Amino acid sequence: MKQFFALLLSLAMTLALAACAAKPEANAEPAPASDAQSAAPADTSAPADAQSAGAITITDMTGREITLDEPATRVVALSAADCEFLFAVGAGDTLVGRGEYCDYPAEVLSVPSVQSGYDTNIEQIIALKPQVLLMSTMAQTQEQIDQLEAAGVKVVVSDAQDIEGVYTAINMIGTLMGKEDNAAAVVEQMKSTFAAVSAQADAAAGKTVYFEVSPLEYGLWTAGKGTFMNEIAEMVGLKNVFDDVDGWGEISEEQVLERDPDFIVTITMYFGEGPTPVEEILARPGWENVSAVKNEAILNLQNNELSRPTPRLADGAQMLYDFVAAHADDAASPAA
Amino acid sequence: MKQVNRKRGDSFSPLVYLVFAAVMLLTLVLCVSVGSVAIPFGETASVIADALLGREAPQTTAASIILSSRLPRVLCVALTGASLAICGAAMQGLLKNPLADGSTLGVASGASLGAVTAIAFGITFPALPFAGTMVMAMLFAFVSIVVILSLAYKLDYSLSTNSIILIGVIYSMFASSLLSLIITFSGDKLHSITFWTMGSLAGTSYRNALVLLLALVLCGGVLLGLSRELNAFAVGEDNARHVGVNVRAVRLSVLIAVSALIGVCVSIGGCIGFVGLVTPHIVRMITGPNHARLLPATLFGGSTFLMLCDLAARMVANPLQLPIGVVTSLIGAVVFIVIFYRSGRASA
Amino acid sequence: MRMLDVSGLHVRLGGKEIVKNAAFSVDEGGWLMIVGPNGAGKSTIVNAVSQGVPYEGTIAFRGRDVRTYKPHELARHVGVLSQNHSVGYAFSVEEVVRLGRYAYAPGVFSRRTDADEAAVADALALTGLTELAAQSVLTLSGGELQRAFLAQLFAQDPEVLILDEPTNHLDLVYQKQAFSLIEQWRQKPGRAVVSVVHDLSLALAYGKSAVLMDRGGVAASGSVREVLTAERLRAVYGMDVKDWMQTMLRQWDDL
Repeated sequence: MKQFFALLLSLAMTLALAACAAKPEANAEPAPASDAQSAAPADTSAPADAQSAGAITITDMTGREITLDEPATRVVALSAADCEFLFAVGAGDTLVGRGEYCDYPAEVLSVPSVQSGYDTNIEQIIALKPQVLLMSTMAQTQEQIDQLEAAGVKVVVSDAQDIEGVYTAINMIGTLMGKEDNAAAVVEQMKSTFAAVSAQADAAAGKTVYFEVSPLEYGLWTAGKGTFMNEIAEMVGLKNVFDDVDGWGEISEEQVLERDPDFIVTITMYFGEGPTPVEEILARPGWENVSAVKNEAILNLQNNELSRPTPRLADGAQMLYDFVAAHADDAASPAA
Repeated sequence: MKQVNRKRGDSFSPLVYLVFAAVMLLTLVLCVSVGSVAIPFGETASVIADALLGREAPQTTAASIILSSRLPRVLCVALTGASLAICGAAMQGLLKNPLADGSTLGVASGASLGAVTAIAFGITFPALPFAGTMVMAMLFAFVSIVVILSLAYKLDYSLSTNSIILIGVIYSMFASSLLSLIITFSGDKLHSITFWTMGSLAGTSYRNALVLLLALVLCGGVLLGLSRELNAFAVGEDNARHVGVNVRAVRLSVLIAVSALIGVCVSIGGCIGFVGLVTPHIVRMITGPNHARLLPATLFGGSTFLMLCDLAARMVANPLQLPIGVVTSLIGAVVFIVIFYRSGRASA
Repeated sequence: MRMLDVSGLHVRLGGKEIVKNAAFSVDEGGWLMIVGPNGAGKSTIVNAVSQGVPYEGTIAFRGRDVRTYKPHELARHVGVLSQNHSVGYAFSVEEVVRLGRYAYAPGVFSRRTDADEAAVADALALTGLTELAAQSVLTLSGGELQRAFLAQLFAQDPEVLILDEPTNHLDLVYQKQAFSLIEQWRQKPGRAVVSVVHDLSLALAYGKSAVLMDRGGVAASGSVREVLTAERLRAVYGMDVKDWMQTMLRQWDDL
């Protein structure tokens, strides 16, 4: 029973918010994204005011039409990705409430958090008087949505399943907030990063990667086909060794050893105690023959760069590319 | 006169142990040879032979898979199975209750609660990396068992099957809700707790196997040493007292041994239900209820059963892995119902 | 020689005083009958002697407080046969009887001795269960089961037997057998019997002394013939017991 509950919970968590409980300090420390790429937040809001005028109609990602008299000024965003979108288009200051797992950028943590998912406290959300509630598809029940709409809160669903979806979500939220230009710029920025990365993809040609979502101690979970990680791996020119797995799944240790990835990307959080996730992988008995371990070609992404549908996917792609390129020389293909 | 005494022995001889041991060893070989990566049996054999003889082995992937991944896991599974089964058998004897087991009595839930509490409140012992969760799991398992039994005694002095199972179920629910509560308020430990609750026997090491072995030798030894006392309890607690069993001391020893062993198992492999319930039943059909024969046989039976469940968990959706608890619960629930139905009719 | 001496015995269960200031004793070679109507506290006294319920007062075996004995030591001196038996698992008759030898080797590494083997075999033979030795106790009739536990008690070989309704489940043949077995057992030196019985005729037939219990207290004690008088029984049972017994017996006269 517990295993079942845990499976569900862990799936839900890894999908949406794999490393949810980051301490704010821990977030700031690795300084993962350069400002250029992660679209400078609040300071663009002043010039963007010009964009806001007249009624706005958008189609959300479930195809529902939502009309607002003017760009939203009070927003509650339940998913971590939605919070990041808001900040990316320069509308972070409109956020009056956030889902409990929203952790990026650091400013978001000063916004009051509300419960999300099954335990959503509708009263708490209504009390924040938002005009718009941003959430992902499966997050809430229809009854909860009906209650919110009845209270005058417009529910907008953003649910990016692939990179194309991320663009759509950004543009939609840009329109919603009257920041179309900012949104377009963010999308352009992402596209150009991706283009640059895939143009140079040769460096990784024929190399393989294994994405580790949860460490060995808890059973190995990986990201297979249909995940952002897989999409970015392909873009960078890497082949995901578990592209035969659909979505997220628990796989066996021996499969990893057998498939002998050239690179390992782990998204395990490091809490400052014991070995780092990279050290832990390097120390695993029996893994010493895995190419990625031999070459110490292990990348630890601590901030959901590749596990969350946000503009920072571009950062993740860049980090992965840089990492692969840096190893291109010393990883002098030991494969026979 | 001697003939009378031997009569019973005819249906069960030490030979049966040989069969049990052989089946267990065969299962062990099977589980080490078969995995989600296909490795020829000959290669498996030579890898293990090299390792056993201390020969310098070629650093092949097959060697890594077998020696570093498969073998420690299979050993941990076997030891966990043996531990849970002997605990189940001892509880069933002690309480004269064929439905008693760590999972039905809520002891395993209590142990989980202890482990999660240890993680949430950061209870650790610097010298021993994961002893914090383990000690707390053992402690909570023992407190749970005492709470459950005292409640049961209060409600129904005869400790009837139904009332004790009912209290066990209620206690399990209570422990689960406390667990959810801790998870809700765990803040930055949420991640570790969530992963612990989905923890599995994947990635277990030889060190885990050693800890399990140690616990099994100690606690299992205590239980095996109490097999005559358990026989007396299984006949009836009053009868045990009448023939001179130190009822309190024996009950306390059994409960401590059982909760310590379950605590270790839960802290390493998480909650694995039904092994302790089902195995003693199947084994009892072969050995009879005498604990002197039943307990050793459940060690073999439990390890065989859990190794096979683990094999199924590893192979059914290859390369995806199923949680082992899903497999044991699927099989166990069916057997549980059969037992319940039969025992219900027998006592009616 | 005084074997068992109970004095000032009080038992409280769930706030209710079940036994009030009970006192009795049995000497070597004696057979004490504890009689009285339902709810008089007879079985509770047995439970107290076997340390099954908390009690106040003193229970002494050969002058030594039984609380100072280790459980297995006490079991070598005092054996108890309870009223109800329901065995949970399919133990063989022999396995149940063999448990009676527990008190002689309670340790972990103790092996079976020849004395154990002989005691078990004798007990089985004495109770006529030799043929059923390998049979599961779950398949026994109520009488056979009671005999199996009586055999266990004989194998245990204590000095005082405490019997709670020993023939409750037995038909007449086995009832007679059981009482003559116990009577034979008692006649060996250094032995005594205390038994709770419902059947006052049995009490008269086998008892040397008796205690008449009434709502937890002792209404009378002494020799059987002193205790089981018509007046005393009438007072305790609220009916003319002697007249009733005689009426019942007279039915057989013209058969």
